[in-house]
Amino acid sequence: MSVTLREVTVRQGSFTLERVSLSVPDAAYGVVLGAAGSGKTTLLETVAGIRAPASGTVQIAGGDVTALPAEARGVGMVYQHSLLFPHLGVAANVAYGAKSEAAVTDAVRRTGIDALLTRGVATLSGGEQQLVALARAIASEPRVLLLDEPFAALDPPRRTAMRRMTRALQRERAITVLHVTHDVNEAALLADVLAVLDSGRILQHGVATDLFAHPASGRVAELLGAENVIAGVASTAADGSVELRAGRLTVHALLPDGGAVAGPAHAVIGADEITLSRTAKETSARNSYAGSVIAMSGAGALVRVEIDVEGTPLVAVVTSGAARELALAAGVTVHLSFKATAVRIC
Amino acid sequence: MTDRSRQHLATVVAAFAASLLLLFLAVPTIALVARGGAGGLRGLATDAELRDAIVLTVITATASTLIAVLLGTPLAWWLARRRFRGRALIDAVLDLPLLIPHPVAGIALLLVLSRGSPLGAALLAIGVRVVSTPLGIVAAMLFVSAPLYVSAAREAIARVDPRYEAVARTLGDTPWRAWRRVTLPLARRGLLSGAVVSWARASSEFGAIVILAYHPRVASVLSYDRLTSYGLREALPVAAALVLVALLPLVLLRALGRNPAPGAR
Repeated sequence: MSVTLREVTVRQGSFTLERVSLSVPDAAYGVVLGAAGSGKTTLLETVAGIRAPASGTVQIAGGDVTALPAEARGVGMVYQHSLLFPHLGVAANVAYGAKSEAAVTDAVRRTGIDALLTRGVATLSGGEQQLVALARAIASEPRVLLLDEPFAALDPPRRTAMRRMTRALQRERAITVLHVTHDVNEAALLADVLAVLDSGRILQHGVATDLFAHPASGRVAELLGAENVIAGVASTAADGSVELRAGRLTVHALLPDGGAVAGPAHAVIGADEITLSRTAKETSARNSYAGSVIAMSGAGALVRVEIDVEGTPLVAVVTSGAARELALAAGVTVHLSFKATAVRIC
Repeated sequence: MTDRSRQHLATVVAAFAASLLLLFLAVPTIALVARGGAGGLRGLATDAELRDAIVLTVITATASTLIAVLLGTPLAWWLARRRFRGRALIDAVLDLPLLIPHPVAGIALLLVLSRGSPLGAALLAIGVRVVSTPLGIVAAMLFVSAPLYVSAAREAIARVDPRYEAVARTLGDTPWRAWRRVTLPLARRGLLSGAVVSWARASSEFGAIVILAYHPRVASVLSYDRLTSYGLREALPVAAALVLVALLPLVLLRALGRNPAPGAR
């Protein structure tokens, strides 16, 4: 059952969800990525029928459901805080909206909560509560499953397990999912289609891999987790490459389609695309600079190195072994390089 | 004087002041029950007029509370869940009966419900008399006690996260069914508590009742009647019996307050 929003505007106090359009195909996993306060929950509640839009239409399976009440839309919703009914036990919560005993049994089996059924909800851990909330939603056999940051309050191992289970469940039952999150890793791991929401507006929407490869703007790149988003003025050089000037720094880019760019733009460089050395080396990379390490962070296998390059801070990621070998520390001079093809201009 | 001594002195002064107030509040009631309690209990068995007054008080206060619950709960839900223009006006209307002197409330009710008023005349025309009837007592009780119920119910409903209702709706409940299955059980304790307070207020009302329906006499009016006609000695059993009746909801209220409602924010 596809979910489509067309030019949906929702006013909620001083906040407005502004002309939102997006579409999640049938049986696909759609993710809306946005920071806190960007309107993610409002968007989901509008699809659920809990909030009425001021204008625009909401469609499920091609049918206009904008005027339908929540109970007639066939959606299941799981909030960040499970919102299990505290006056009911686990079994009663799961069975709350179920149309048959078989649906309850199936939901219990898929979420693996058999051992929790006789418990009171107040005795459950955060992860168990989310499992029960998910079981409750799927026991009602929804056409569309709406997930509002359902894993945000969980510890990392549980979060990973819940993500896997939810994705497997979605595939097995071919449910259409619309999941909102602020976690870019979660979005990257789960999304078939992805929308980036910022201050009530969809900045970009499409196939998830396309968005990560081709962010439409510097803001989208930032929200998608890009470490190096440099604002500047772009121009096309005689050899067809693109130059972006940001203060004293000039970044060279080669667009995959060989297109020309002129005017204000952003250069996006992945932190893992930047190579570091302590001495200047002959390299084929078009972008090669000397810089000074400002700060280093990261206690695990990777170290994040912040470097000042011609007054512009750039971030590189190296292994902790490489950081030791290069004797990286704040204040030391390093040489960094990256290919023109690694630079995305948007 | 050291800081520690000053702190100690402040504690002693505060405790003394608090004790004075508590004694002032408790001693008259304790003295009343001590002097008239046995007579009141005896009176319930032997004094038909007292028994009738207590029964009438209980019935009219219960009727008033039921009306407050039936009409006040939707209003409380509306005030707790909706933002709208004119809300301040509704708040003022609800506060008014609590702010004006109760005899004045009785006069106001008399103004609109007596036979000389259009409403009173219309009611009389269909055979409904309000002044000096149990219905008048219920009206006076409702006027002074319903705002207390609405206020408590509004708070109880507001404390239930509205997203519970939203989840119930996505699970197939209509708004009414979601209210009945989720919000009502979660707000139940607060609603009951509001109803008990409302009942207690109604059963102890005097000022508005005495203006609108002196007869038939409820317990508060009877105790006043006996005081002014026969003196303190005759009034004591009635007053003590009324205190004992009023203690029942107080005990119930304390029992309700012992365990907070699940899911309350």
